[in-house]
Amino acid sequence: MERSLICEIVTPERIVYTNEVRMVVAPTIDGEIGILPLHAPLVSALRPGEVRVRYGDNDSEVEWFAVSGGYIQVHEDKVIVLADHALGSSQIDVERARQALAHAQARMAEVGDGTDESGELANELKWAEAQVAVAGKHR
Amino acid sequence: MPNLRDIKQRIVSVHSTRQITRTMEMVATAKIKKAQERIEAARPYAMSMMEVLGNVARFAKGASHPLLLKHEKRERVVVIACTSDRGLAGAFNSNIIRLAEDVARDERAAGAQVDFVTVGKKAISYFRYRGVEPIAVYRDISDKPTFADAKSIAAHVIPGYSADDIDAVYIVFNRFKNVAEQKPEIHQLLPIEQAVMSEASQDVAASGVSAEYMFEPSPESVLELLLPTYVETLIYRALMESAASEQGARRTAMKSATDNASDMITTLTRSYNRARQASITQEIAEIVGGAAALEE
Repeated sequence: MERSLICEIVTPERIVYTNEVRMVVAPTIDGEIGILPLHAPLVSALRPGEVRVRYGDNDSEVEWFAVSGGYIQVHEDKVIVLADHALGSSQIDVERARQALAHAQARMAEVGDGTDESGELANELKWAEAQVAVAGKHR
Repeated sequence: MPNLRDIKQRIVSVHSTRQITRTMEMVATAKIKKAQERIEAARPYAMSMMEVLGNVARFAKGASHPLLLKHEKRERVVVIACTSDRGLAGAFNSNIIRLAEDVARDERAAGAQVDFVTVGKKAISYFRYRGVEPIAVYRDISDKPTFADAKSIAAHVIPGYSADDIDAVYIVFNRFKNVAEQKPEIHQLLPIEQAVMSEASQDVAASGVSAEYMFEPSPESVLELLLPTYVETLIYRALMESAASEQGARRTAMKSATDNASDMITTLTRSYNRARQASITQEIAEIVGGAAALEE
């Protein structure tokens, strides 16, 4: 048996995922980070995007999650992803995500850059994009 | 002597009231359970969050952040009042409003301007009636608050505090102690007490894991993102406690209403029987009297 990681994806409302896994890939502010067993202790901020979890030996044994940004903490083979929102690829309502995406884009064009609202909208936009992207990966 | 039919009517009406209050009591009991489960579901996030905060606090020692900074002046204070959308919950809402008003009075006496953010129709209508317009109102969320609601409330106070526009933020809500007991409490949201940070870092230190963490991009920037989330988590928690408390308070209120209705029915039935007996006695007396008159 190879070494494995405990992965938990938690939102304020519920625990989205918890499992013993082989690898976790998460979107950090500066890029992407892949975490394997024996990773050094780490705390990092996440941007809205997709979290990939490989739970088996096979390359196809992967689960996808859309997260709306948050934090990741790695300590002694335990990975905790804290996100405001997180959805597994099968839980995403693609239609709604597409609508939210279109809505955010339209609003964005209306208010323009540099306003208070635009920052918030940019986050909504990225969150909707992440959902659409992850939903597309669900087979 | 009260009319027989009047008493009968009152019994019927108290009966139907009791039916309503009993149903409300049962509904509230069922809802308490769900609300409690939601509080439980939020615990893992809050605990992990405190752990991360503790780790960051250890490494970003002395890091200053606008939300940690106590303002010298005290010109504008915001009070977030969490009430419910519906009444019939005993003193649930009036306790909150009284506590919020107490704070407001003290702050005003100290020369600060006080603004309110109100959650729940009860607080909204109270303040509007008094001619005080809250800076933000939230209705239809108090029953089933979401984290997005908490974020939205936080967005009304966090930028203001960072911009030196607001000097303190309080939240007033009913803490859910147990099914039968709710305690109105007031918590200071902003500035975040330094004690919170040092306690969190001590907790982490006490748990024996003193690993050298890497922070990406840096401890300071993680802290900067983490503190607003911490405030949002506190608000979320308060909203959920308030939701559970509302059902608890309603259950208690409806239970005593049901008990009172039962007592009333007993008393009314007694006087109904007495009145009926009296009228029978009177009739007999009249018949006897009439018969006696005939015999003479």
